[in-house]
Amino acid sequence: MTRQDILSELKKVIAPYTTNKEMLAGIDDQTDLIKDLKINSANLVDIIIDAEAKYDIEIDYDSADKMVNVGTCIDVISEKLNQKI
Amino acid sequence: MTGTGNDIVSLGAINITRTKQPAFYSKILSDREITYYRQNCQDVITLENYIWLLWSIKESAYKYLQRFNPGLVFTPVKFIVSGLLPPVPSPTENFGNTKAGKGFDVNKTWNGVITYGTDTLYSLSLLYTDVLFSVVNGTENFDQVYWGLHRINDTDPANQSAMVRTFLLDKLHQILTIDNLQIGKNEFNIPVLIKRDKEMQVAISLSHHEHFIGYSFVNSL
Repeated sequence: MTRQDILSELKKVIAPYTTNKEMLAGIDDQTDLIKDLKINSANLVDIIIDAEAKYDIEIDYDSADKMVNVGTCIDVISEKLNQKI
Repeated sequence: MTGTGNDIVSLGAINITRTKQPAFYSKILSDREITYYRQNCQDVITLENYIWLLWSIKESAYKYLQRFNPGLVFTPVKFIVSGLLPPVPSPTENFGNTKAGKGFDVNKTWNGVITYGTDTLYSLSLLYTDVLFSVVNGTENFDQVYWGLHRINDTDPANQSAMVRTFLLDKLHQILTIDNLQIGKNEFNIPVLIKRDKEMQVAISLSHHEHFIGYSFVNSL
């Protein structure tokens, strides 16, 4: 799965938790989940749980710590998917 | 400078089914905190409210410590809440519209101790049927801690952000009797109180969630 594939699916994971739909459409690696997308910090746990379910992966605490922007979210998901191979 | 941190959870906005799933709450609570609930708290608070109570305490502690360690990452399970004591009796009413004060009546709050690494902090939390509000302090004595919680009609994040600043500034102007105060953010995105482009030695913390906004501050002037 390419980074672009993950990005496309990640938008669907994030969508329920942001009201900033305009920015969501144009997100890139630097987009910050809290500062840019205005996602409540409590919903970051939801995003991690939803990503785990969508990709059938487990995201540990240390990996979750890194998921502050879109790029690091893709890094973590990509890493966990590669570990399944 | 002393620190402060606060957090709000609008209980009407939480997903109760998801909250009660171990896959969800195990990312917030440590095994010891789950055991503590089963042994000490389940008769006085629902599991979902306990989970979000601890979330708000941990997030408040994170905000407190982030001021001194801007690179700090919020990993809820690494903030350990212990010795949590409920108010007597547990309140069962709705929040209402506005509450504010200096210090708390500790008989009406949930009282906790938080450890993060070598740091120890203290929390007081107000729990109503529709909202919970936590404030974290560096000592057990909250007498110098000002706080406020207010219900709003607007849930747009940008408007919430503006309203919570107005709510806090109204109180600060009243307490400090200084005009032209502003709230900005420092280079690490932490809220600071500003007077003529200079950061003031007053630790402030802001929070908003759904229909609620809140603040805490400690006047060190």
